[in-house]
Amino acid sequence: MLTDIYSDLSSNFEPGSHTELRIQTNKTRRACLLGGYLTTNSRAEASGISARVYKNGFYGFSSSASCTPASCLTVLNAATANADYFAKHLTSDKPSLRPLENGSVKIKEDVTDPEQKYYIDFIREVDNYIANTYPDLSSREVTAYADSMEKLLHVSNGFDSHSIMPRSYVYVLLTAEDREGQPVEVFYPFGGYGAFDANFKDPALLFPRIDDLYATLTDKIEAVFASAGFKTCILGPMMTGMLAHEAVGHTVEADIVLGGSVAGPNLGKTVASEKITMVDFANNFRGAPVPLPVYVDDEGTKAEDALLIDKGVLVGYMNSRETAELFNMKPLGNARAYGYYDEPLIRMRNTAVLPGTDSLKDMIASVDDGYYLLDSSNGQADTTGEFMFGVTIGYEIKHGKLGRAIKDTTISGVAFDMLKTVDMVSNEMEWQSCGFCGKKQPMPVGMGGPSVRCRVNIGGR
Amino acid sequence: MSYSVITIDQINDPQDLETVDFLRFIAKQCREELANAGATRYAGSVSRTASNEFNVDSGKFSLFRTQFSDRLALTCYIGDRRGTASVSSSLENPNTVTSAVKDAAASALAAEPDPAWTVAPREESMIILKGNPVFDKDAMFFRLAEAVETINTRYPLIMIEQAVTSHAKDISLYFNSSGTEFVTVSGAYNVDFMYSAHDGDNGSSFVGNDFVLSSLDKPFLDLGLFAKTLENTEKQIYTVPYKGKRVGRLITGPSLTLDLIADALANVAEDDVILDGTSLWIDKIGKKVTDEQLTVTCTVSDPRVIGGQTFTDEGFPAKDYNIIDKGVLTNFNISTYTANKTGFRRAPNAGDNVIIANGTKSIEQMIKETPFGIYTVRFSGGEPSVNGDFSGVAKNSFLIENGKLTVPLAETMISGNLLDLLNNIVDISEEREENGVDLVPYMSFDGITISGE
Repeated sequence: MLTDIYSDLSSNFEPGSHTELRIQTNKTRRACLLGGYLTTNSRAEASGISARVYKNGFYGFSSSASCTPASCLTVLNAATANADYFAKHLTSDKPSLRPLENGSVKIKEDVTDPEQKYYIDFIREVDNYIANTYPDLSSREVTAYADSMEKLLHVSNGFDSHSIMPRSYVYVLLTAEDREGQPVEVFYPFGGYGAFDANFKDPALLFPRIDDLYATLTDKIEAVFASAGFKTCILGPMMTGMLAHEAVGHTVEADIVLGGSVAGPNLGKTVASEKITMVDFANNFRGAPVPLPVYVDDEGTKAEDALLIDKGVLVGYMNSRETAELFNMKPLGNARAYGYYDEPLIRMRNTAVLPGTDSLKDMIASVDDGYYLLDSSNGQADTTGEFMFGVTIGYEIKHGKLGRAIKDTTISGVAFDMLKTVDMVSNEMEWQSCGFCGKKQPMPVGMGGPSVRCRVNIGGR
Repeated sequence: MSYSVITIDQINDPQDLETVDFLRFIAKQCREELANAGATRYAGSVSRTASNEFNVDSGKFSLFRTQFSDRLALTCYIGDRRGTASVSSSLENPNTVTSAVKDAAASALAAEPDPAWTVAPREESMIILKGNPVFDKDAMFFRLAEAVETINTRYPLIMIEQAVTSHAKDISLYFNSSGTEFVTVSGAYNVDFMYSAHDGDNGSSFVGNDFVLSSLDKPFLDLGLFAKTLENTEKQIYTVPYKGKRVGRLITGPSLTLDLIADALANVAEDDVILDGTSLWIDKIGKKVTDEQLTVTCTVSDPRVIGGQTFTDEGFPAKDYNIIDKGVLTNFNISTYTANKTGFRRAPNAGDNVIIANGTKSIEQMIKETPFGIYTVRFSGGEPSVNGDFSGVAKNSFLIENGKLTVPLAETMISGNLLDLLNNIVDISEEREENGVDLVPYMSFDGITISGE
């Protein structure tokens, strides 16, 4: 755990400038069995210190792997010099930052860091179960993965903090051949917030869920092509979460808005059905922790929920302190940095569509000819709101009943058009947090939602 | 060559010499601690990097970032048990080496023995110079400011969403238990622009250009297809969805050409699918797998590549090789481990720098000879299925009708099978984009499904 020997250095912060000093350690542990072979067996750690200074409308940033008080002074001076370099050549029309409430938030828990043997033994047992139970698979891959970010933050104004965000997963990929001898695969990430030995105590607890995954693979062996075109679809919670993050979330990040995103001219306007409310949650949802809680961001802003769409109306953006000034909004703690060497960027935290009142059963029964889309491999969106998600698990819906599985495909649309077609929203809610969002830097994010019924363009033949 | 071999006397900067000595000291410490931890073989890499970066956000200069970082990566073998660890922490701190050795050795002890892992035999030690390690801050600022101003003046509808230019200088030392030691002094500028075009509330999709450079002698807008892409993006503000569904021809810009070929090869010619035997090309070495116009070379020596790989992770000297030679599969892009497990030849380099052989027609001629199809420079698609099926949205695209680019498209999907596409190559352009990393032409493919509303 990081020891705070840096708080006294705040006396070196330059008066009149906003300064952040961050000491950070990221840890990653990974072990992978591919067909029973241990192909990855690695541990990685990155530690260091950084300073960022906002002065005359420019940011200067400097980082060093050396975590000593002397290095802190070096990076503080270098960051100031970098901001001064721009000011020497350019004039900025950006406003100074509004003062924030001051305070301090410290973590209450330490996080365990199991030996590599724990990871390998765990996935070996899972792999043996798969190999023995399902000998007909053409390939199997089981990966243990854990990462954590621990940060000590001191700011000239705002909240100081000491935080840690651990998460851990077991990824399972199963591959079989279909009737034409073509490979088909299914994937699932088990796990979430917490250290690996806290999340995964007994491999046998995963076995029933692997049986379910294999059943999905069996369905997929018989899968048919989706019929291409605009269809009525029910997006499962993972797809809705992807929609919230990719198709809407990125367009309402204030830096993307400044870059010309479709959300700019739509603030205050109806962009979705009134059944859609969307929030970027900071740390709690209805009294329970969200997948990846954030309490203070890396600019020293105390984290609060950001309401983005309220009953179909676009009401807010996600901001840094700088963009909050430009849009005259309140910063809510969305400025996050991945490594000690990274500057804070506007990032999502736990972005979700809120559940509605419909039952999933009724929703499926309501579709005469369409698809039930459950899981996604990846997603991308444009500043125009045009989005695309890969679909890896989906089923036909015929006359209100689930039919055959469909082959991997893609859905696409324009977010603010597609969201207006949502006419049913289920009453349950699921979260996922296994991946990284990419935007100059990677960042762990949570996303979630209910099932929604909508019209969307699906690829196929 | 993309690099040169030098002598220690040719390192002019005394601080660089000091860094090399320091890295050698760290390597010695690693060797001793690895031996004490029971390592029977090992390989390691230790490096020190200084980088500087300017950021422009929403068309305005925003951030100047400098980074000083250290990295130590170790692979430890205890008998045939293998573990790896990497630490990006200060090398001045003695705990950095101790912690990395401890993690690598503990990981090795936790693994099952597997004799397929190897360390290369001793190679002649050398000092390698790559790119340009000397950073010129004022020149980098000037070139970026010049590019921003030129875009504002010449392309008034363009909004630079983000531009990042950086220079990284890296001094590294590779060592292994066979006695090999490679010192590398390297540096390069990276230029990365992402932008879109806007007219009032209407806007285009975003698109980007990126380059790796060893010098700043040219304005950025003179590089590769930067100016052409800016010009086309201004024509992409008012788009229409394609109506209906039709099979036609796909013409790809160079970066998309590379993406499609890389996706295809990932599904059939790389480690995981060769190791588990699920590749559809598993029995195709020496056989025709694509149209004979296609030759894909993984280069390390081409002088148009800035800083190609000089040695592999296992410590073998890196060499050029073809994956596909005139349509025939000649090599998989696989590690020594996979090669030892499967009996196939290991890839002579990591495949980081790709050259695709050019054809004889201009891109204009290729478009002229296309009766119906789509010209696209970016594709937003789901990960292709393991059998090569893919679908997704064509971005920054134009419809081709009767040999002419007609309307800019949006909300238009394309779908097909990557392996089929490689057998349906119509033409490969004479011109190729040179970006300091790869050298790739335009390509046209038959048999793509284009669908929209």
